[in-house]
Amino acid sequence: MGSYFSSMFDRLWGVNKELRILILGLDGAGKTTILYRLQIGEVVTTKPTIGFNVETLTYKNLKLNVWDLGGQTSIRPYWRCYYADTAAVIFVVDSTDKDRMATASKELHLMLQEEELQDAALLVFANKQDQPGALSASEVSRELNLVELKDRSWSIVASSAIKGEGITEGLDWLIEVIKEEQL
Amino acid sequence: MPPLDKRIKKFLKNSIRIAPKISDKGELAELRTGLVSQYPQTRKDAIKKTIQQMTVGKDVSTLFPDVLKNMATNDIEQKKLVYLYVMNYAETHPELCILAVNTFVTDAQDPNPLIRCMAIRTMSMIRVEKILEYIEIPLRRTLQDDNPYVRKTAVICVAKLFQLNKELCIELGVLEDLKSSLDDENPMVVANATASLAEINDMDPSIVDLKSLIQLHVKQFLAVLNECTEWARITILGALSEYSARDGLEAQDIIDRVTAHLQHVNPAVVLATIKVVIKNLPQTDFNPNSLIMKKLSSALVSLMSSPPEMQYVALKNIRIILEKYPEILSKELRIFYIKFNDPLYVKLEKIDILIRLVDKGNLKQCSLLLTELKEYSMEFEPEFVSRAIQGLSQLGIKFSGEKFLQKVLDILIELIDRDQNSIKDDCCIAMCNILRHLPENTDMASQICSILNAWESPDEYLRTDVAKCNYVWLLGQYPENFPSLKAKVNIFLELFNQEESLTQTSILITVVRLHSKLPGSTLQSVLEKATKETTELDVRDMAIMYWRCLSMDDSEELVEELCKIIPPHLETTIDQFSPDLLEKLLLELGTISSIYFKPQANRRTRDVSYENVVKGKEINELQDLAKNELASKANEEVLLDFGDDDEEDEDELDGDNLTSVRTNKKYSALDDLDDLFNFGTTTGKPKSFKDDIGISQGINELNLRPSVDSNSRSQSNTQELLDLF
Repeated sequence: MGSYFSSMFDRLWGVNKELRILILGLDGAGKTTILYRLQIGEVVTTKPTIGFNVETLTYKNLKLNVWDLGGQTSIRPYWRCYYADTAAVIFVVDSTDKDRMATASKELHLMLQEEELQDAALLVFANKQDQPGALSASEVSRELNLVELKDRSWSIVASSAIKGEGITEGLDWLIEVIKEEQL
Repeated sequence: MPPLDKRIKKFLKNSIRIAPKISDKGELAELRTGLVSQYPQTRKDAIKKTIQQMTVGKDVSTLFPDVLKNMATNDIEQKKLVYLYVMNYAETHPELCILAVNTFVTDAQDPNPLIRCMAIRTMSMIRVEKILEYIEIPLRRTLQDDNPYVRKTAVICVAKLFQLNKELCIELGVLEDLKSSLDDENPMVVANATASLAEINDMDPSIVDLKSLIQLHVKQFLAVLNECTEWARITILGALSEYSARDGLEAQDIIDRVTAHLQHVNPAVVLATIKVVIKNLPQTDFNPNSLIMKKLSSALVSLMSSPPEMQYVALKNIRIILEKYPEILSKELRIFYIKFNDPLYVKLEKIDILIRLVDKGNLKQCSLLLTELKEYSMEFEPEFVSRAIQGLSQLGIKFSGEKFLQKVLDILIELIDRDQNSIKDDCCIAMCNILRHLPENTDMASQICSILNAWESPDEYLRTDVAKCNYVWLLGQYPENFPSLKAKVNIFLELFNQEESLTQTSILITVVRLHSKLPGSTLQSVLEKATKETTELDVRDMAIMYWRCLSMDDSEELVEELCKIIPPHLETTIDQFSPDLLEKLLLELGTISSIYFKPQANRRTRDVSYENVVKGKEINELQDLAKNELASKANEEVLLDFGDDDEEDEDELDGDNLTSVRTNKKYSALDDLDDLFNFGTTTGKPKSFKDDIGISQGINELNLRPSVDSNSRSQSNTQELLDLF
């Protein structure tokens, strides 16, 4: 009974409410590294994620439920299982991987067409900026055709998960948008 | 900024929904919204409800992806529930299981040992090929875990992996880890590793050399035996029973170390201990009065105070042990007396044990038992009464004194006089058996025959094949005691076509024996019926044989000679194991083999589990399986003893019945295989053994051989099938 009342209060005040954020992108883009950068502020050694990681973190008084989904071709079809009730999508792109920009673009636009994601904000990380030969944020933006996006708050941020650059900036923007649009 | 009304709606949706809403989409949709709720508590409640639905048998498999999302959580209760769900439904969503892999791998490194253990257990339980690719790292890690609780689970997982994918298991080399777990300091880990290795050995004996492993680790086993749980004890005792001691001293030591467990509350532990003791007993210098025998005896007695199901198992095992050590329970006859509230299956076994147990040199004991059996045969349960009557004759023949047998006979006559038609079958068989034991006793023969002769229409009183067969045999054996012989024979002759094979054979033999006393037309008609109208091959063969004999020049002498053969005395009607079978069974006490009296090697349980795994197998693998199957069948057939003596011995007959049933089964198994591999290809093999023409041809070829068994035929079919591959 106690838990029932507490959950009732939670709802009334929106206290324990969690915002669902998805981190997507092709395999090897750095999604898991970004997730743990956000969570524990450190670089962890990762293996290809077969399935998903999920962490709950509190950021500016908001509880975020951040899902990092595996990017392998075999797992991509199952992304859709996670779309429901998503506040925002973080799409991570490996800026050095010029060959697969087209694939990334295709996956991104395919995903954004989903009905369930119509209200979700989009943040793109042009990751791996620490690597030589990385495309700049604007170049990635062009490759991904981001300008074509209508009716959606989106932003692209150059980042390096290893060095921890750009991650907080990106998230700050995302939180602002979510607060403004959805709360 | 979204429009105001949208924001209000959203606010209402998120904040005011307090009680779970009854939506019109149905329960599943409701659960789904709960599972993906933004509130942790709601999600947990929804999981609980889902599991609840699952346990009452509703199909909630469609929620699989949504439940899976809740797998990564710090709440151990929730994790356990989700794991439970995943185990149950993984097979319905094999492709989605891959989403769980990462969580499994992460959980296998969780600081909490409970979670590590749960993760590896669930992961190895999911029978999905894709998941197995990722099992290596977590499995290896948990096998080396610091926590024994995790290790003991991981060693079992190796066996599970082996069952699901043998090649992978060998490739990963986890079997080596498993073997080294036998040296673990924790008793549970040792026990589970033993169980796991035993399982693997059962599935494929060529992979691990279990025997030598056991030889090497006996010290460990004995050391941990006292510290582990009862189930682990059973496993370890099982392993110990496979160990053959080097000398009498070691055997004695093992016996001394395990005897304490004879008093365990768990009957399985007791039986396993008995198994170890019996295995080592022959190597020590023991005598029937030694302390260990007394301990064994009291352990067996204590099993008799367990619930009826356990008693049944105990009785079956006692039956095996008694054959090896008949004197073991000789003072405990009383506890096997039947209680009024025993279930039927226990009662039947008890009678069997009682008769085996009774000391045939002790008249007092035998008489007591006789009165007891008489009581039983007046009960109301038909099977029980039937077994008791059978027991009467068994006891009589065991004791073997004429006076005593007369007493038995008096009881039987008394029973018949009570005018219950249902027991006439059994009484008839029992009396015939007594006569087979004492063929020279004319008094008894005339007494019995006069009773049976008084039956106007024996075919109405007697129902079973065996009983009728006995009756007809008696007609042939003591024709002078039957004043209305011709009438009786005619009754049976008229019904010839309706009788089963035993009775048909018996009629045939009896008429041939009595051909000088009966009109010639009777012989003619029985031979005609037996050759033309019957579907029983053995009967037909026998009739053909007689016919040939009769058509020979010196037919009179030949037939005379055939009929004059006196069968040996019936010494016992208590069935016994062959020494080979007995030794095998003694090693499998307390297992299911001891219930069916069929050693593991002869059973087909493993094939069943193969079938489960068979799904994705290549066709040539299947063919290999089938070949092995057929080869083992062929071996089995050589072992089968097709006794070719006639209906003289009732037990022999039972044996024959059994074999013929088994042969039929074999036919169908072969048949199935045949179907399996025909695949509608051009080589549609004719099933000659099902073909009547084929059979009669076969008989023509076999010509005059008496009692052409189906043995040779089925073997040739097996050969044909083998050639097919």
